[in-house]
Amino acid sequence: MKKFAYIDATSVDTVPSLLGRRFGQAQVLAGGTDLVGELKEYIATPDRVVNLKSIPGLDYIRQEDDGLKIGPLTTLADIETSTLINDQYSVLQQAVSAIASPQIRNVGTIAGNICQRPRCWYYRSEDFDCLKNGGDTCYSVRGVNRYHAIIGGGPCYIVHPSDSAVALMSLNASVKIQGPRGPREEMLDDFFVLPELNIMRENGLRANEFVTEIIVPASKPNTKGIYVKVRERDAIDFAMASVAVTMTMSGNTCSEATVVLGGVAPVPWRVPDVEQFLQGKQITEDVASAAAEMALREADPMSDNSYKIEMTQNIVSQAILDLA
Amino acid sequence: MSTNGYKVIGSRPIRHDGVDKVTGRAKYGADVQLTGMLYGKVLRSPHPHAKLKGIDTSKAEALPGVKAIATAADLPQIADKIADLGEAVVNLRDSSNNVLAYGKVLYRGHAVAAVAATSRHIAAEALELIQVEYEPLPHVTSVLEAMKDDAPILHEDLKMTEMGEETDKVSNIANHFQHKQGDPEAGFTEADMVIEREFETATVHQGYIEPHNATAEWNEEGHLTLYTSTQGAFSVRDQLVEILQIPVSKVTVVPMEIGGGFGGKISVYLAPVAAVLSRKTGHPVQMTMDRDEVFIGSGPTAASYLKIKMGATNDGRITAATAYMAYEAGAYPGSPVGAGAGCILTPYRIPNVQIDGYDVCVNKPKSNAYRAPGATNAAFGSETVVDELAEALGIDPLEFRIKNGVTEGDRRPDGPEHPRIGCIETTEAAKSSAHYGASLEPSSDGKLRGRGVASGYWFNFNGGRSAISVSVNDDGSINMLEGSTDIGGSRASISMMLAETLGLSAKDINPRVVDTDAIGYTDATGGSRTTFATGYAAHATGKALICEMKKRLAQAWEVSADAIDFKDGLFSYKNDEEKRGTFKELSGKIGGTGGPLVAQISTQPDGSGGGAFATHIVDVEVDPETGKVDILRYTAVQDVGTAIHPSYVEGQLQGGVAQGVGWALNEEYIYNTDGGMTNSSFLDYRMPTSLDLPMIETILVEVPNVSHPYGVRGVGEVPIVPPPAAIANAIYRATGTRMYELPMSPPRLASQMAKNA
Ligand SMILES: Cc1cc2nc3c(=O)[nH]c(=O)nc-3n(C[C@H](O)[C@H](O)[C@H](O)COP(=O)(O)OP(=O)(O)OC[C@H]3O[C@@H](n4cnc5c(N)ncnc54)[C@H](O)[C@@H]3O)c2cc1C
Repeated sequence: MKKFAYIDATSVDTVPSLLGRRFGQAQVLAGGTDLVGELKEYIATPDRVVNLKSIPGLDYIRQEDDGLKIGPLTTLADIETSTLINDQYSVLQQAVSAIASPQIRNVGTIAGNICQRPRCWYYRSEDFDCLKNGGDTCYSVRGVNRYHAIIGGGPCYIVHPSDSAVALMSLNASVKIQGPRGPREEMLDDFFVLPELNIMRENGLRANEFVTEIIVPASKPNTKGIYVKVRERDAIDFAMASVAVTMTMSGNTCSEATVVLGGVAPVPWRVPDVEQFLQGKQITEDVASAAAEMALREADPMSDNSYKIEMTQNIVSQAILDLA
Repeated sequence: MSTNGYKVIGSRPIRHDGVDKVTGRAKYGADVQLTGMLYGKVLRSPHPHAKLKGIDTSKAEALPGVKAIATAADLPQIADKIADLGEAVVNLRDSSNNVLAYGKVLYRGHAVAAVAATSRHIAAEALELIQVEYEPLPHVTSVLEAMKDDAPILHEDLKMTEMGEETDKVSNIANHFQHKQGDPEAGFTEADMVIEREFETATVHQGYIEPHNATAEWNEEGHLTLYTSTQGAFSVRDQLVEILQIPVSKVTVVPMEIGGGFGGKISVYLAPVAAVLSRKTGHPVQMTMDRDEVFIGSGPTAASYLKIKMGATNDGRITAATAYMAYEAGAYPGSPVGAGAGCILTPYRIPNVQIDGYDVCVNKPKSNAYRAPGATNAAFGSETVVDELAEALGIDPLEFRIKNGVTEGDRRPDGPEHPRIGCIETTEAAKSSAHYGASLEPSSDGKLRGRGVASGYWFNFNGGRSAISVSVNDDGSINMLEGSTDIGGSRASISMMLAETLGLSAKDINPRVVDTDAIGYTDATGGSRTTFATGYAAHATGKALICEMKKRLAQAWEVSADAIDFKDGLFSYKNDEEKRGTFKELSGKIGGTGGPLVAQISTQPDGSGGGAFATHIVDVEVDPETGKVDILRYTAVQDVGTAIHPSYVEGQLQGGVAQGVGWALNEEYIYNTDGGMTNSSFLDYRMPTSLDLPMIETILVEVPNVSHPYGVRGVGEVPIVPPPAAIANAIYRATGTRMYELPMSPPRLASQMAKNA
């Protein structure tokens, strides 16, 4: 761990100036379940660590007229056990309860989960000067890429690690962001960025910005959601593949759907084609498998990860059929 | 009182060390704090194979807070010397070079230098300042590649040993040996059905929770005291004596509590380095590994390649078998292939058999023992072929095993004759178990279910030396000193044997694991020997105390010692009501007959009592969409000799199964093309969690070991042997897909099922 100054922030407004304008110089700390590991391994080497937990009132789950508001420091455990979320946004509850372990969910926060750094083993190793660490090679290309991206990769092939982001995107959620000139709001669809746009980061936050709220539009009637996650072991494991689907049904016809893939791309991967395809369709096995096929149409696997295609197709069709 | 006629043995008292452990008071290696203590850290090679051209430590030495730096130049050059550490045989010159690389680095993670500083952070910073000049060499990290003639050679001076004779051939194959009985070719001709298969298993780690640690204090008189977490304090002492070339009387090893070992905590890694740093600085030095270092810089167990052929007649008699076994030794010779070859076909009576074992160096950490070393790899292969044969012949797999099972007088493929063993009894108990009798309901949601079985053998390293020293208190309680570190509840079970012998209860005994100055030589806790051998010594000590007590009573009662009887816990003289009492009652009444009652026994019991057999039954559910396997039900059946403390025996079975499930489904060192391990954390190296395991049922079959006074048989190792094969056989029954490679993780199983579809 490199030496750094530790600052307890006291209000949302003061954070941007504490962070400063250069990336890498400062880093916000929430639960620390991700950041502390990065600090210890010299993956993150900031001069300043800005603690958000010292700011009062950033931990809440509230239903308002225009939807659900979640404070950035709300723990994953609080989301998992919220009856409001369980009743109306169950896809989020399902995704969050599939994260890590009870201990990590007790400490890890929702904004930290969305903003966590990737788990690619080359990126996380001090020994590899990979693209994300400022080097000029993505070691997964010729290395072991069993858990890497099959869609949207290049020149870096990480998969986005967050389960909650996949579910939130399927709920059309957005984030409120605080910067030096005040707050702004951004749809999650636009928040995450592919490596081809910015190799060093997974989202569009500027160096002096941070997430202050997660906003989920009010749930619609006759709408249900499901999160399916495949992992090698039943706890403490990231997704090899996952999918969040929400569908609004009238009878057994789907009037509206969202479909987002996790564990397969450098960002939570929304598939608008499939969403359109499902609209107005009676949900049958054929429709589900056509949708699944369509969802992976752009897949371009690497040497070790083509198994993910069928795996993901299978869970997509399973998720669609389960909601019908 | 239990059904076996014993009063203490077979009961389940609370272990003596339990409260301290669950309340966090027990002291482990990293809890040691000494005045003026420094912290040491190891610099490790980033290359899997390279020449060491030079090490410049000057910049690191200049960093404030740095007190000393050690390299191989600080260790004496030592000649080849083979030492038996209990579970593994090693060349001490290799041990020295493994502890700090000399001339060459042989794997990524190989220790190159070490720093002692006033804090861990300064030590870590100093590592970055050490400049090492490497000349990278081509590397090889798979056993079959390493055996090729044109493979990069790890040791230019290593001559292959062929059937016991050293040859002139420079090769990564350190040793090829063979066990042969009968005429395998003729045996296969006699068979109606012959099956031959190839298998591969991955490098796996024991995964003990407590990382390696060592705290050394080399004082001004030249005496070295070392505090560490180890399976064998005396083994550590021996290694220090050899690697540092110092007199044995100048070394004391203090074993701290141990957070798991499973064979991986016998060899030293940090201890000699901490000692050298302490000598150089005049301060105590503590070193601990982090998890990444444990993975890349300690001793995982061997990956392997196996080719197994078996033949049987239509009526289900095995006529012949051959096994080709190539195991990765890692950086230095000494894989567990020898032990694997001694276990592979042992549950079966096979008239014609040939086993060829190869010990092969590769650019990976020096492999080490891991619970039944070598036998789990072996059984994955042999028990799959047995399953295929039984299926091809249309015979129930357990019936097939019973039919060919070994009994007293049969020979093991590697030669020795079996004494009284419980192979058939165990398989029969499995066959008549509730689990095997219950039908496996199909899944309602499209998942695939299947049941598999497999057997296993581990010969138990029963011999070795053990010592017990006791002193009796006036209230009849006993302080019992032992040299066996307690990993699985042995304080309790050894105390119970002493208590049984003397008619006391387990809580009358105060067991203490003591340092190497305080007790006679005791071999490592490993090879399933501790409850057997140290328990043997405890029983003998109890007998000696009875004898001594009779002498004292003879004085007190003024009768002849020969006339005093000890039976059912009662000393008595004829029918004299005045002259009788329990050990406890009388031990306070022998004042004036000599000093306090003490006894001390050192033993090396006859270890030929026979090994342990296990048969496991498992029901799995496979998700055909993802290749994920869930264990629905698991039953481990085992001949345990006599279960001294049944809870800890059951715990051993369950622990072995849990680890075996990890081998089967998830665990592997994933190597990058550059020869490094990509997944050196508990996140990416997936050991099963509580959610991945069902409650593991156990059935204890008790066929007492005839060479032990209480019938003890080693129980700790064989339970890891059957799981991978049992699970592979169950996966086949569920999916129709045979898996020949470990682990059977979702990416592998999904790909294989897709190929077969
Ligand atoms: C063993 C293990 C297993 C795991 N398994 C899973 C899993 O299965 N699925 C999954 O989704 N996750 C998993 N995780 C990740 C875990 O959920 C995250 O570490 C956690 O949610 C992060 O929250 P935190 O509050 O601890 O964040 P921190 O560690 O404090 O921060 C994480 C990152 O986000 C940044 N950050 C934090 N808050 C903000 C904010 N408000 N605005 C902008 N940036 C911010 C930090 O600077 C840092 O870079 C696992 C983690 C571990 C250690």
